[in-house]
Amino acid sequence: MALKLDNVTIFKADRWLLSVNTTVNNGDILSIMGPSGSGKSTLLNAISGHLSPPFIMTGHVEVNGCSMTTMPAHQRGVGVMFQDALLFDHMTVGQNIMFAMPQTMKAKEKEKAVIDMLSAVGLDGLEKRAPNELSGGQQSRVSLLRTLAAQPNVVLLDEPFSQLDSHLREQIRTWTFEQLKHRQIPSVLVTHDMDDAIAAGGEIMELSSC
Amino acid sequence: MTAFSFNTTTTLAKWCLILMLSVPVIAGTFGAVFPAMGYFPAIGETQFGLHVFATLFDTPALWQMVGLSLFTGLLSTLLAVAGALVLLAGFYHLRWLQTIQRLLSPLLVLPHAAAAMALLFVLSPSGMILRLVTSLSSNESIVPTSWWFPYDSEGISVMIALALKELPFIMLMALSVLSQPQTEKKVAGYYRIGAALGYSNIAVFFQLILPVLYPQIRLPILAVLVFATSSVEISMLLGPNSPNTLAVSVLYWFNHIDLSMRMLGSAAALLQVVVSGVAVGIFIAVERVIAVFGSHQRLSGKRHSADLWVKSVAYSIVSAYCLLIVAIIYSVVMWSVAQYWAFPNLVPDGFTFLHWQTATASLTLPLVNTLQLALAVGITSVAMVLLTLESLSNTRSSRSVIDNVLPYTLFLPLFVPGVAFLYGLVWLQQMFIGDAIWVNTFIAHLVYVLPYVYISLAVSYKKFDMRYVHVALGLGKTPAQVFFKVKLPLMFPPIAVAFALALAISFSQYLPTILPSGGALPTLTTEAVASVSGSSQRLSAVYVILLAGLPLIGFALAWYLPRVVFTPHRKKTNIRDKRHTHGA
Amino acid sequence: MSKQWLTRTQYAVVMALLVSALLVSAKSHGDTVRFHAWGGSAQVNGYLQWVAEQLEEQGITLQHVKLADTSDAVSRVLAEKAGGNLSNGSVDLIWINGENFAAMKKHGLLQPNWVSSLPNFALTNPSINPAMVTDFGEPTQGMEAPWGKASMVFYYRENHLSNAKVAQPTTIAELLAFAEALPGRFTYPLPNDYLGISFLKYAAVALNPKHRDVFYKPVSQQALRTITPSLWAYLDKLHPLMWRQGEYMVRQASQLQRLVDAGELALSFSFTAAEIPSAVERFDLPPDIRTYAMQDGSLANVHFIGIVFNSPHKETAKQVINFMLSPLAQSQKKKLAVWGDDTVLDIALLNVEQQALFTSNETHPSAIPPDSSSPLIAEPHSSWSDALRQVWFERYGARY
Repeated sequence: MALKLDNVTIFKADRWLLSVNTTVNNGDILSIMGPSGSGKSTLLNAISGHLSPPFIMTGHVEVNGCSMTTMPAHQRGVGVMFQDALLFDHMTVGQNIMFAMPQTMKAKEKEKAVIDMLSAVGLDGLEKRAPNELSGGQQSRVSLLRTLAAQPNVVLLDEPFSQLDSHLREQIRTWTFEQLKHRQIPSVLVTHDMDDAIAAGGEIMELSSC
Repeated sequence: MTAFSFNTTTTLAKWCLILMLSVPVIAGTFGAVFPAMGYFPAIGETQFGLHVFATLFDTPALWQMVGLSLFTGLLSTLLAVAGALVLLAGFYHLRWLQTIQRLLSPLLVLPHAAAAMALLFVLSPSGMILRLVTSLSSNESIVPTSWWFPYDSEGISVMIALALKELPFIMLMALSVLSQPQTEKKVAGYYRIGAALGYSNIAVFFQLILPVLYPQIRLPILAVLVFATSSVEISMLLGPNSPNTLAVSVLYWFNHIDLSMRMLGSAAALLQVVVSGVAVGIFIAVERVIAVFGSHQRLSGKRHSADLWVKSVAYSIVSAYCLLIVAIIYSVVMWSVAQYWAFPNLVPDGFTFLHWQTATASLTLPLVNTLQLALAVGITSVAMVLLTLESLSNTRSSRSVIDNVLPYTLFLPLFVPGVAFLYGLVWLQQMFIGDAIWVNTFIAHLVYVLPYVYISLAVSYKKFDMRYVHVALGLGKTPAQVFFKVKLPLMFPPIAVAFALALAISFSQYLPTILPSGGALPTLTTEAVASVSGSSQRLSAVYVILLAGLPLIGFALAWYLPRVVFTPHRKKTNIRDKRHTHGA
Repeated sequence: MSKQWLTRTQYAVVMALLVSALLVSAKSHGDTVRFHAWGGSAQVNGYLQWVAEQLEEQGITLQHVKLADTSDAVSRVLAEKAGGNLSNGSVDLIWINGENFAAMKKHGLLQPNWVSSLPNFALTNPSINPAMVTDFGEPTQGMEAPWGKASMVFYYRENHLSNAKVAQPTTIAELLAFAEALPGRFTYPLPNDYLGISFLKYAAVALNPKHRDVFYKPVSQQALRTITPSLWAYLDKLHPLMWRQGEYMVRQASQLQRLVDAGELALSFSFTAAEIPSAVERFDLPPDIRTYAMQDGSLANVHFIGIVFNSPHKETAKQVINFMLSPLAQSQKKKLAVWGDDTVLDIALLNVEQQALFTSNETHPSAIPPDSSSPLIAEPHSSWSDALRQVWFERYGARY
């Protein structure tokens, strides 16, 4: 499931923005840092398939040797996590997670898996609650569980811990990276915080703005 | 395969929308051109020429009709705009604004016919206001013979009624512009800076905020102007008839037993388009003058722009509305259950439910028709608009020509006077679809409903957090699944509101119901308008209550339903609240 | 899952299309007999609803299409004929008389020669009642069946007049004096309206007692020149003394009643004497209203129902009219509490049971006193309506 960014270059209209040429192995986390406007989120968009004019990309994004450049976003298997948990308010916590599970699973299987996942992270009994009843930290964890339930090939994290207060931040961060490593999923992390990048333990890239 | 068919469905919807908005209007206007140029084979006229126009311009009092239309349309719009701006200037930063917004919102969906009828109950010589005045000031018990409202020859009654009805619309349009996140921040910033520089709130509004706000509400204001110069219901119910306004004359000429008058009516309909255009031109000229005057003001450094005057006018407007609303509700309810009610008593001589019984006995069919039509129009319009918006938001390549044309087609039905294209549309429908009155009326209603539903939903689509979509796509859901399972449920409150709006607009259509169906499709509105020339004031009161109440029920549902549908556990969720509580 | 979505969406679309198609087809054609009749009177509407209920039991659906103006329907039929629609018209029955009938007859819009086939038509005794087969001087040629009778009556607010110490006018000259004494309290509808043109005819006839006979021949320029001077002299004086100085004149006669109710008018007139007490009973007129007839003559006529030439339901329509001519329907119509419109049946031809339906002891203080009598003026020739209207518009402005 390795993620390969093969000479990926992004232009805004005809202005060069950034170039990346690297491979992220399974279980590794690539950290991207840089000031605002340097194109960090744009790079994530390019990987997830949401790049739109005036941004243009050259080069290839490959997962396990398959090029994803022409694939539409929903077929890439690229999970995305933002700084807001973005749980769907019209579904319960359990339904949010089940929504992500593949269609091949039966309903009963899905329900059992949800209960297992929630208790494995100490969130027992929350499956029937509405998302906005949960605390920030709980929502963050459910959001990652949802992303992982879809069995993604790659996970992108766009400053996912910046909304949490410092005490919680370390806890959630450690737990998140553990989950990703455990499932051997290559990830790309965008962050402002050097501590996040160091904790990620992978390659760190600094983008500059021209 | 699924992605492909969802994509085609949304593109198809987009095309349908554009066609639905433009074809009836353009074709309808052409349908008026042919008879106006002398070509009306049904009565044997096949010679193209300008003779019809010659007859039109020979019509005595034609210029009076045109003048009346221009006068009532322009002045009422100017008054409504001025009033709305004064209200905003006076109340923007105060807590009162919310209350005023809630007070004026129901007036928006009140059908024009109901508004005119309601004013008749309150402002006519034997109406509530004069009863109050007479009983408090004199011992007279006969109704005055010289009172300007209604039917005065200068059209002031029509003008006041139009201004009263349009002011809430303009004000609420302005408020919705001002509440868009970026504009809101900018405006709040301007108030702070202006105060720091020593300018009063009212001065800040007129000198700093208005220049930012006005360009964004210009189009709706011009649409209001076009409507006001060509309105039929209000002029018919409250206006003079020696002569009428031009639009009402068009209606009467088309209905005349002498079929050749239809050619005259078509020519007059085209003249109406020109008259509305002239009104727009005059309005723009007035705008320019005010802009020049305004920029002089701005640089003069005056810190207070007639603050006291503006504030008192603002308070007077609000009090006038309050008084009118209370008087209307009281009179209409009282009249609907009144036995004999002598002038100038403030309470009827006795009460009875006879009028309600009479009305409900004969209203089953019109009510059913009204609801069926509105539901069909509502569902179709909301579905079409949602799919179109989805199609527009899905294009990742630069927008095609069609996408850029779409906003303009939206305004076509609003800028071409109804009297002009509806007759032509009916003529065409008779030729191609024949007498299927339901289809014809459905199309006519759809043409009027689509622009408002689109505007209402486009705002919500813009405000929708696209990151939900990214997350869902990242979970492997197809765009179709994302649309149905994530977007629609999360946007349910604005969708419900747009649906209620569509229902309300369909309920209130008079001309677009009576023309395509030839009067064979009675709805609540057509019955209500017919009752005004009927013999029973009390029956009309019942009709007004029903006509005004129906849209309100739709909106009550739009407020209530999102609280129980798409909400886990029936607990109140505020879908816009994205603040999470911190802490584990 | 994706396959499921495909079929679900398609299914929904198909269902929506089916439903709308059903709606459209169900509503476009039906087996309903559509009776286009003026809908401005609650009493008429109520009576027609009763008729519909009675016919429902015989399996016939009658729909009263309420018109603000009968000429709307005439114009629609004319348009249908011009458009080539010869057998599937939108109007089956139409309530008409006078010049609407003349216009329809002229353009061939009515089905001819069916009236005498109705069993109940014989009860109107047409051989001795020429009014049953003549409409404003025009022979009906079996195109329309008589339905009811009417004559012009005036009504006034007694309290208002006695407080002002003014008596109600009983001749056309007294009407002018009344307007001088109480300006702004009387008006008449625009001549487009049936009652409006009737007022003009009454005034024209009453002001020209020496030229009565010209009114019963087709109108001519010379006849007009003879009778208009006195009419204009009168109206020129009357208009400024009318409600709103004659600058706004109502389009529908029913609005007059509304204005009397509101207290703006103190005197008005109508063709349906019975609707006045009936309106008082419905609280739509004050209890001090009194009805009377002018002593210099009351215009009187019969009103009819016609079958439109392109109606798809002619046979059912004939059954409907036959029912309307039955003693049951006619007596119901005559009841003050229902409509109060006089019957066209010749009572002498009915058997005892049927005659009993028509006797009643109804009296009402606001109704015209049963023993009152006044000379009747027969309707002038139908060509006079158009002519008078035209010259009125020429003089006082074409008000559309």
